[in-house]
Amino acid sequence: MTTNTKRVLKGIPDIRLHFHRNETPIYFISATNFNLMGIDEWVRNFRYITYIDCFDGQHPHVISPSEIPHRPFTSIEDVNNYLLEHKEVVDLIRRRSKNGKGGKAVFLFFDEQTEALCEQLGLEVCFPSAQLRTEIDNKIMTTRIGDRAGIASVPNVLAKVESYSQMRELTGHLGNDLVIQTAFGDSGHTTFFISSEEDWNKHADEIVADPEVKIMKRIRCRGAAQEACVTRHGTIVGPMMTELVGFKELTPYRGGWCGNEVLAESFSQDVRAKACDMTFRFGEELRKMGYRGYFELDFLRDLDSDELYLGEVNPRVTGASAMTNLAAFAHADAPLFLFHLLEWADVDFELDVAELNARWSDPDNIDSWGQLVIKHTADTVELITETPQTGIWKLHENGNVEYLRMQTHRRTVESEQEAFFLRIAKPGDYKYEGADLGILITPGRLMTEDFELNDRAKAWTKGIIGEFKSRAIQPAEAEVATEIAEVANFKMM
Amino acid sequence: MSVIFQAVSESTPGPKWQSFFERLWPSYHLWFLKQGDQARPTYLACETAMKKHLPELLPLYFQLVELGGGSDAAARFLSLYCPTPYMSGCSQAVWTRDESFLIRNYDYSSKLWEATLLRTCWNGKQVMAMSDCAWGVLDGMNEDGLAVSLAFGGRRTLGVGFGIPLVLRYILEFCDTTAQATDVLRRVPSHMAYNVTVLDRKGAHATVFVSPDRDIVVSRRKLATNHQGTVDWPEHERATASLDRAHVLSVRLQDPNETHERFVSRFLEPPLYQFNHQAGWGTLYTTTYNPARGVFTCRWPGYCLERTFENFAEQAVSLRFT
Repeated sequence: MTTNTKRVLKGIPDIRLHFHRNETPIYFISATNFNLMGIDEWVRNFRYITYIDCFDGQHPHVISPSEIPHRPFTSIEDVNNYLLEHKEVVDLIRRRSKNGKGGKAVFLFFDEQTEALCEQLGLEVCFPSAQLRTEIDNKIMTTRIGDRAGIASVPNVLAKVESYSQMRELTGHLGNDLVIQTAFGDSGHTTFFISSEEDWNKHADEIVADPEVKIMKRIRCRGAAQEACVTRHGTIVGPMMTELVGFKELTPYRGGWCGNEVLAESFSQDVRAKACDMTFRFGEELRKMGYRGYFELDFLRDLDSDELYLGEVNPRVTGASAMTNLAAFAHADAPLFLFHLLEWADVDFELDVAELNARWSDPDNIDSWGQLVIKHTADTVELITETPQTGIWKLHENGNVEYLRMQTHRRTVESEQEAFFLRIAKPGDYKYEGADLGILITPGRLMTEDFELNDRAKAWTKGIIGEFKSRAIQPAEAEVATEIAEVANFKMM
Repeated sequence: MSVIFQAVSESTPGPKWQSFFERLWPSYHLWFLKQGDQARPTYLACETAMKKHLPELLPLYFQLVELGGGSDAAARFLSLYCPTPYMSGCSQAVWTRDESFLIRNYDYSSKLWEATLLRTCWNGKQVMAMSDCAWGVLDGMNEDGLAVSLAFGGRRTLGVGFGIPLVLRYILEFCDTTAQATDVLRRVPSHMAYNVTVLDRKGAHATVFVSPDRDIVVSRRKLATNHQGTVDWPEHERATASLDRAHVLSVRLQDPNETHERFVSRFLEPPLYQFNHQAGWGTLYTTTYNPARGVFTCRWPGYCLERTFENFAEQAVSLRFT
């Protein structure tokens, strides 16, 4: 990424220096900058191009083009493609281009159209192809990759199923209570719990329509996540994280992801060591397939047997990436995502991956943080009139929260009574069931030993939600557009 | 209905064009969004299409976009790439006897007419043109003696391409001859069907039928109204009398006793002159371009305005259409 491509970077200090002197424009293009918060402080000329400006213009490296009317977005890929075709973004990329090259782009999600748009803009996408990512993201393929790498999934059968009776014949050895997953999609919406023909009938259409599904034994489990990065010198593995799932204070979706914790003591040393080894091996298997860079593995820990199983893989940056990249060990060496960028930098490097993995898995190097992803949980629609600002907040003993100062990430949070809050919904947006309101990141645990939301997490959630003011929608607001459309009868055939 | 017609001279894009655009933009913005924003191409698609088909026009385009406020919507509108569909009437003909000139009537709604003759020198070539879509051309001429004019082609087919006024602008900015103009019409896609008539200083002329879904037809026809050979859209033909107008033009062009003065005056009479202004459709002006002499004439019943490249006074005229 510097002009000197002959130099070989030898170890972490060289790598850090390389990025501090980087001259190539690098963009993270996404709905918000949440996933890669703080990376701009490590990488010179790194910019976030976002649909939502969570910082109200106060973040020096967040650029949000003025909104133009657009078709309803159905995915983050849609958002990214909209951004890449927006004049203000095109102008920005052109203005910052060097030697006719637009620079490099990273995304949370992208598709073939995104790739084509980047090519038009002279941007290099710093991720394996959308095609390869889709292939790996397929839950059936994930299971097979895991099998090849010697990583166990929950006992399962991969098959095309046509009927309940045929499914039962295939899976007799897995017991009565089963979990069926289709190949793609958010697990919350594509996982079906089947204990009877009645359960089957509810989901039969979706299951039968898939060319192949994964049928698993149903286990009592807890979720865990681990991010890693495939490099040419081996797979670098981040810390193990818990997952917050389905808490009614945070999400209306049963089984919906709503946060993470990173802390040393949430899993036994054995479990963490095993997870590290599994993630490393999975990464090495991905490398054989031509994959390189960032990915995340989900684990299922069987509460009865304490076995650790492969859940699914996300071949990308994820919602837990801010946890991984802002952790203490990341500051001691470099954020995991820097190694991802290094894979796409036009420079060679040397790195002792084993040494780095050993250091990062040492409990002494893991500080304890958690994040709460807060959605509107009621089945109501209201117009938001006021929101809490992005920055550092304080939680008082009476449950009130107080804004302390603007900040772009969590680093200056000093205690568990302080938190960094990233506002997502802004005044003028609608609050509806499932709408993202914001994300709160604070030191310490958010769950009890029994994986329930703890009192402090509940207090923070209640306090922050209380800062969102809204009002009911007035009927007249729906009529303005009609009036405009009627007077716009101009030069129209 | 009163309209102020203006003759405006500004060699390089500047405050005059900017204030002209600012006056037009609120209406054009609504028109641009008429079918919803997503019905129009994105900025990147517009810019890419211009780069591919009209590359020499890009620097000027960028200048005008900046003067127009630089917004995403203004930039997309000004590219005229797959614009909101629109149509006009129009009769046009080429006279090639004692002298050569291109003459045309522009039939349209007076409420939607920009009513502006722009004299510019945006790319080193002087151009006089009746403006549409802020920098497009309904009809016009350049100092090298090339004159062009457009008429709606009478077909409802829509396709991927540019609004024809921008293609005419491109021709006047960069072509000198009818052959060059024909080449441009052959390679630059039009989003709707149009009949373009071209005449150059040496008297070479052509009428070109462009369509988004058919090969172009280049002919030495000396006239065009609002159909392309056969009538594709009978309702439109009935509303605009395209066949009648074509018949009159054809007969008079073949009449050995027709003088050029009489031929010109017929454009101010029915059926060429359309009086239907109250219903939102009528002849708004008659322009004549004599490319060999560099003379532009604009006629209305009882009033005439003439300009040359050397003698171009700015003027505002109040017109009343009844």
